[in-house]
Amino acid sequence: MEGLNFIENRALIALLAAILPLFSFIIILASKRGGGANLALSGISLSFLLSIYLFSQIWNAAPEHKQLSWFLMGKVQFYAGILLNNLSVLMMVLVSGISVLVHIYSREYMKNDPNIQRYWAYLGLFCFSMLGLVISDNLLLIYLFWELVGFSSYLLIGFWYSKQAASQAAKKAFIINRIGDLGFLTGIMIIYTQFQTLDLVTLFGDNGLISKASIENDLWISGSQNLPEIWLSIAGFAFFLGAMAKSAQFPFHTWLPDAMEGPTSVSSLIHAATMVAAGVFLIARIYPVFNPIVLDVMVWIGAFTAFMAATIALTQNDIKRILAYSTISQLGFMVMALGIGAYSESIFHLTTHAFFKCLLFLAAGSVIHQLHHYCEKNNHEFNYQDIRLMGGLRKRMPFAFWGMCLASAALVGIPLTSGFLSKDSILIRTFEWTATRDGIFVILPWLMVLTSWLTAFYIFRLIFKVFFGEPREIKANKLGLINDSPGQMTYILLVLSFFCSFIVFAFNPASFESSWLWKGFQVSFIKEINYFHWMVPLILNSGSFLVIFLSYRTYVTGKGIKSMEGTWIYHLSNREWFFNEIYNFMFTRTVEKLSLLSYRFDRTVIDGLVNSIAAFTKIISSVADWFDRRIIDGLVNATGTVSGYIGRFFRNFQSGRLQHYLTTMLLVVLSIFILSYLI
Amino acid sequence: MIPLSHFLLISAVLFCIGLYAVLTRRNAIQVLIGIEFMINAAVLNFVAFGRYDKIAGGGQMFALFAIVLAAAGVAVALAIILNVYKYFKSIDPTKTDTLKD
Repeated sequence: MEGLNFIENRALIALLAAILPLFSFIIILASKRGGGANLALSGISLSFLLSIYLFSQIWNAAPEHKQLSWFLMGKVQFYAGILLNNLSVLMMVLVSGISVLVHIYSREYMKNDPNIQRYWAYLGLFCFSMLGLVISDNLLLIYLFWELVGFSSYLLIGFWYSKQAASQAAKKAFIINRIGDLGFLTGIMIIYTQFQTLDLVTLFGDNGLISKASIENDLWISGSQNLPEIWLSIAGFAFFLGAMAKSAQFPFHTWLPDAMEGPTSVSSLIHAATMVAAGVFLIARIYPVFNPIVLDVMVWIGAFTAFMAATIALTQNDIKRILAYSTISQLGFMVMALGIGAYSESIFHLTTHAFFKCLLFLAAGSVIHQLHHYCEKNNHEFNYQDIRLMGGLRKRMPFAFWGMCLASAALVGIPLTSGFLSKDSILIRTFEWTATRDGIFVILPWLMVLTSWLTAFYIFRLIFKVFFGEPREIKANKLGLINDSPGQMTYILLVLSFFCSFIVFAFNPASFESSWLWKGFQVSFIKEINYFHWMVPLILNSGSFLVIFLSYRTYVTGKGIKSMEGTWIYHLSNREWFFNEIYNFMFTRTVEKLSLLSYRFDRTVIDGLVNSIAAFTKIISSVADWFDRRIIDGLVNATGTVSGYIGRFFRNFQSGRLQHYLTTMLLVVLSIFILSYLI
Repeated sequence: MIPLSHFLLISAVLFCIGLYAVLTRRNAIQVLIGIEFMINAAVLNFVAFGRYDKIAGGGQMFALFAIVLAAAGVAVALAIILNVYKYFKSIDPTKTDTLKD
């Protein structure tokens, strides 16, 4: 009977699913033996199975909300609990599912790493924090897990901490995320001030406090409380700031490309599929709090990020950096979609993106892994992440090649792939939304279309450079030494390839409205305009095919567009829009100058003050010393000396000689006589 | 009739000589002789003042007692000097200074 209760208690199952990876983290860290792969894998696999079970129970059914009293602050009772609705269970399956695949992949990929035990432990910590984040039912708990996610990401980026670049990148990611955390915290405080609760259901549910609150006479009114209207916008911006940092949106995107210093499997899991989606997840979770002003900003930030990252990806040469900018670009799409109210489309894209971007990274990881092995075996030193040095790998690594092609197709949004469904849905929604707006918004959908075409160009540039043509660094006769990665790694690519196809998400490959996932979140904010539904995919895909063909001509046959190398556009793109330089100039230099200034202030003023006080004290004490030695000691010594003299004088009488005594006696008697005579 | 002051003067001179000897001599026997001088100066005074007690002759009586006592004292003192000599191999009073602090 007890067991049955446990099965029925879905909140407990969710808790167990989240805590299993934490157990594996603790046990692996505590155990002395190396390894831990099996433990970590079994922990996350069990989590995955539990997540699947919850998904089947909760999806499109009534949400589950269980909470326990946490602590009492003043008169306000805080609750900690678990909220399972469509969004949480989807994210649970997504996170744990991709984690399982990456765990299996890592067994081979990280096999020879001396610190493999630490790697498994950190992965466990990450999975725990991410699963905790998606099932938490109040903002404070989400914030805790949000920080933990940032921390475990820091640990994993800096996993090869002996590499200077890796430890720098870890610090950068952590610091930039701190800025976002500050925003998140500000948002929490504003919400708490207004509503005295942080519970998600109470705040954001149907008929929640947020939807009941109204704006009257520039006041944001909720029950008896009211704040000036501006605070609603500030709260929205604050939460959005948190999401921007976590989801690498402009201007906080600079940490993500650097985060590629971590192991590729980590980049795949954290910096492509799951953690960076946490920002989008947060926006989706607290969606009602954003007012139109914040949403418009969100649209532009997302659109600009998508466009900018796509242009940067065009000229990057590090295979992982291209993928990182591609991730930023796609996250920009999701944020933009949320901004225009395309809620379900955004979540849909988040899910499909997780799979195809994970596949892209793992396939790239496979290439890197094999080239790295080649380098080690043949004593051939070259940068095995530089796509300019690769080439001709198509025949040697067919699985990686086809996996990457499929994922790229999904990224570009070619029909029959999952990306076609989700990305085109976002673009269609953008067109529909823009139809109701005017002014500068008119360019928005075309900017996104252009971004899509750029996406097609850069990702196929990568494929053509890596897999086509002649090998550039490795000699042609040695190419035979390179093969597809060993078993496990390749199987994972196959599994992920399957998830890039439309069939997983919808039976009709042409219509996102038939997707079960899209229906699960169907929230209609936008008026549908029918003719966009066939026109947008048509324009987009014909353009994409043209761009891919252009890319083929350019990089394989060499007859396409001329190299732009050396022009200012190339520099702008290749140097990543100079963001690092600008930040370096604006913040790092300023901070450095400020520190130098405060250092000088410290040196001269504070130290000077301290030193002069010290000197003054020294003078005073030397005076006191002199006084002590000369006057006080002098007095004491004088007393001593005088009593010594007196004593010695009187000692003289005690000579032991009879005649002296007698003389003394005589003198005393005589003096008494003389005195008595005189007186 | 010799006036009393002559006796007293002689007696004082005797006493001073004795005292001087006691204080300055480097020989215990001579110190003892000095003491005898002083006792005799006192005895001379007894006898001189005995003039005023002709009937009972108290002065002379006391003089006799003093002489006897001095003789006894000398005996004791000589015995002490002998012992001192045995102990210190000297009868110089400046060398017997073990009484000092």
